[in-house]
Amino acid sequence: MAHIWPIGGGKGGSGKSFLASSLGRLLAKAGKKTLLIDLDLGAANLHTMVDVPYPDKCFSDFVSRKINLLEDTVLATPFPHLFLISGAHDSLDIANLSYEKKIKTLKSIAKLKYEHIILDLGAGTAINTLDFFLASGNGIFVTTPEPTSIENVYRLMRAIYLRRIRHYFTTDEFKALEKKVKELLGDDYFNKPENIVAVVRKEFPEKFALIRKDFNSFHFKLILNQLRKQDSVELGSQICKIIKKHLGLHVDFAGNIAYDEHVHDAICQRVSFLDRYPHTRAANDLRELNRKMSNSFGEQLILNYL
Amino acid sequence: MEKDFTRLNYYEMLDIKPNATALEIRVAYNSALQMYQPDSLVSYSFFSQKERKEILARLEKAYFTLINEKEREIYNGELVRAGVLKSTEISPAAKGLVSIFEFNRQKDTPGMPKIHSSELKEKFSQNQRIREIISRQEIKGADLKEIRNELGVTIETIHQQTKIRLDYLHWVEDDKTEKLPAAVFLKGFIKSYLKCLCIEPADEISARYMNSLEHKN
Repeated sequence: MAHIWPIGGGKGGSGKSFLASSLGRLLAKAGKKTLLIDLDLGAANLHTMVDVPYPDKCFSDFVSRKINLLEDTVLATPFPHLFLISGAHDSLDIANLSYEKKIKTLKSIAKLKYEHIILDLGAGTAINTLDFFLASGNGIFVTTPEPTSIENVYRLMRAIYLRRIRHYFTTDEFKALEKKVKELLGDDYFNKPENIVAVVRKEFPEKFALIRKDFNSFHFKLILNQLRKQDSVELGSQICKIIKKHLGLHVDFAGNIAYDEHVHDAICQRVSFLDRYPHTRAANDLRELNRKMSNSFGEQLILNYL
Repeated sequence: MEKDFTRLNYYEMLDIKPNATALEIRVAYNSALQMYQPDSLVSYSFFSQKERKEILARLEKAYFTLINEKEREIYNGELVRAGVLKSTEISPAAKGLVSIFEFNRQKDTPGMPKIHSSELKEKFSQNQRIREIISRQEIKGADLKEIRNELGVTIETIHQQTKIRLDYLHWVEDDKTEKLPAAVFLKGFIKSYLKCLCIEPADEISARYMNSLEHKN
């Protein structure tokens, strides 16, 4: 069973793909068979990050049934042990992946034989993104220390929270719940999933017990990317504290990654940042992060799809 | 999936223990303000304006209650009566010795006898076998081992006292000459080994050991 690491972050440009490719490289370098899947549907560019500029097959081929098995869309990269499912030539309407196809994709991912699978997700809170993020309890949130990015990561967390609750209800049940929430708390309260849980606790105690157990098994992580010298190093742990206190979600602060101009250079030259600038602060942070994360695993929720 | 923020008691709200000192309370309040203030980056967009105001008001009330000794006593009384706290939790923690430096020194493990130099000296002077070994011109690792065994000291004790690596000690005693460290270090090791066993004269015996080693090579 592979360890699945979904990487999401709400806002674009926060470094999700960069992080996915860097972590992938580090895991592969440690001799672990690692697969990167570009699930930033419609805005894929992970292939550029791992130096596969002209992929000859892609995720879309699996969705359109041109290729029957997801395994067959896997591409080798120039790096040993590192593999890629690219989204480079995805059809232009791929972003609106239908429910059946999404479930089919998740089932296929669960069957892949790799030690680590990293899912690079898109910005925003589209339902598909949320479901891919919830493929595993190891999800990683990426944010930069800017209000815009933090705003979006909070939004994403709440959306994921609500989506997970939604998984426990049928359509009709959920409608009834929505109605109850409106009655009890007023209209705008639906945007605060933490309040919905209070209603669930009262109205559906047996479901509440399940949800609670589920949420306690999560090992979500937060990474603060592009931290400049003047930014507070405490920010990440404070964010996790607030989430724990007010949302009741356990998110471990995994670490800061220093801002580095060289990242831009490395991406422009289309070379690996870690190989080109191995002695920078950011590279150090990445290695430290990888070391820390490899021994903390959450539950593999994707088992539900098998 | 935790308690609602509004239902937390003041201690939980500020993330402190019920026996926190005034200084700890102030530090906790300060760091809470950093998180909840309107211009804080941490909680940006997390709360609505109304919620933030409520939270700040609560924190302020918590702080002013706990920082005031009389009010804190009354509040503690309420918590104890409500069964939230035990009265033992409130009393200030007993003041004890605080270690300032954390030396990476191994603690004496029980069951490992300490070496008493006077005892050793007595054994040394009475033991015929040891004196016989020492009087020899040539001294080998095996001889050192025999002396140690005669004195009833374990190799681990020596390792602990002298901080010489255990494998070095074994190599010395087993005469694994090819593995031994450079002569400069070895001489020092032998000296401290002998001193640890209270064998006199350490300088001279270690010199003899080094000589025999050279002869062999």
